Amino acid sequence: MDTFIQIVASGLTLGAMYAVGTIGLSLVWGALRMLNMAHGVLIAAGGYMAWQAIAGWGLPAPLGLVAAMAAGGLLGAAVYWLAARFMFRNEAFENNIIIVTFGLAIALENGILKVFGGYPLAQPFGLEDGFRLGAVHVPWKNVLVVAVSVATMAAMAWFLARTRMGRAIRATAQNRDAAQLMGVAIGGVFAQVLAIAGALAALSGVLLSSITTLSPQVGFDPMLKAFIICVIAGLGNVMGALYAAFAMGLFEAAVQFFLGVRFALPLMLLLVILALIWRPYGVFGRREVRRL
Amino acid sequence: MAEALLSVEAIGAGYRGKPVLKEVSLAIPAGSVTMVVGPNGHGKTTLLRCISGLVALEAGAIRLAGARIDGMRADRIVAAGVVHIPQGDLPFPEMSVADNLLMGAWLPPARAEAARRLEEIYALLPRLAERRRQMASTLSGGERRMLAIGRGLMTGGRILLVDEPSLGLAPIVIERIYEVLRGLKAEGRTLLLVEENLSRAGEIADSVHLLDDGRMVWQGDADALLERPELFEIYLGA
Repeated sequence: MDTFIQIVASGLTLGAMYAVGTIGLSLVWGALRMLNMAHGVLIAAGGYMAWQAIAGWGLPAPLGLVAAMAAGGLLGAAVYWLAARFMFRNEAFENNIIIVTFGLAIALENGILKVFGGYPLAQPFGLEDGFRLGAVHVPWKNVLVVAVSVATMAAMAWFLARTRMGRAIRATAQNRDAAQLMGVAIGGVFAQVLAIAGALAALSGVLLSSITTLSPQVGFDPMLKAFIICVIAGLGNVMGALYAAFAMGLFEAAVQFFLGVRFALPLMLLLVILALIWRPYGVFGRREVRRL
Repeated sequence: MAEALLSVEAIGAGYRGKPVLKEVSLAIPAGSVTMVVGPNGHGKTTLLRCISGLVALEAGAIRLAGARIDGMRADRIVAAGVVHIPQGDLPFPEMSVADNLLMGAWLPPARAEAARRLEEIYALLPRLAERRRQMASTLSGGERRMLAIGRGLMTGGRILLVDEPSLGLAPIVIERIYEVLRGLKAEGRTLLLVEENLSRAGEIADSVHLLDDGRMVWQGDADALLERPELFEIYLGA
């Protein structure tokens, strides 16, 4: 029973972090057909912004979180204004934007390295101590990660389903031409989607670094796992990505417990291969038909 | 002839360097119904996509009430009053019927009247009212077509471009759709219809244009075209 509690507690924490990291990536793919390779460095940037706000400027932790999300949102919007807006009408956009965002990621990562150095930092955002569930010690900071993540996902679900802007994002993701024919300025939608994804990536960075440490490369592993989750769920399927994130978190926790940490990533990649063979459009995805 | 609300002036357009439209001209007076007919794949849909800003022009100009609209973004052309109802499966499939219709009222003038317009659309197309909470992807082909028309009507606008309103539908559904279009004509709305099938032209169109291989090859009223069986044979394969 304790083993089960341990796996569930670790799995939910991992899943919550992956969900916040993945939802932005999935949203961006859904709306723009864009694989944002700068997503990982936005995760790191969020972590560093919170560190700067709390440890550097002495702001309260909640304000540090807000500052991190604001910085992530601005950086996400900058990806649109500096790169994507010049390219998204181009036929080769899906390929070109990968290279461009990869370049932006390298530049931003080196910027972080220059300002904060490469030495790992401790994230001041988080809670101390924990509680016992049977024989298992559950840190409060893990509970905080799950709570913030669930609240964020609920807010995102409400935003997408109930607000005018959310409806425009869904419309653009489902049919870009038809959205334009309704009068939706899709450039503005893309900028907002990238800003939201940037803010979520930054939030993910704060949560992640609160239970590990902060380094310029801290976002690379979560970005890789976010890609894995997106592919398994079906690219652009936001709700599917949420389910897949928690499933992958639990899967990873179970593999780490029974087989060891080093087997987690290879087995996740094996799942991707199986998913691509079994359902090439994702477990929750739909077959995509492109009219030529 | 009244001054044209929409004029298409010797436009050329194509895809990936392959010309589709060649010096196509068209003048649509306010309050009239204009029909463009022609064989499949000869540029009818591209003509509408050029007018609504989805395809860039390579030559010529398009004016709405005298002001050039070619080169404008598609959403700004909608804001200027050109509403395009595209052919095929274009409603947002993962949205409810009501949300699809509300997307039609995205722009400010329509947004302020969204609730009233929604009730008008439900009265005009009661099938949509019955299915208002249903996902668009679960509708039949005819219902999707009605949803697309309803969504266009939600937008309002000064001219409605309708691409193949009868494509692939059962005769009873086509009759219902044309009933709606006749109602719009009776209200004095300006319509540009694109059809492969000419059989409906006589009952609704004030003028008919024949588009073949990207060129306008004939224009006149529907009766005049019906008296030219050789045109049917040459251009429409009938």
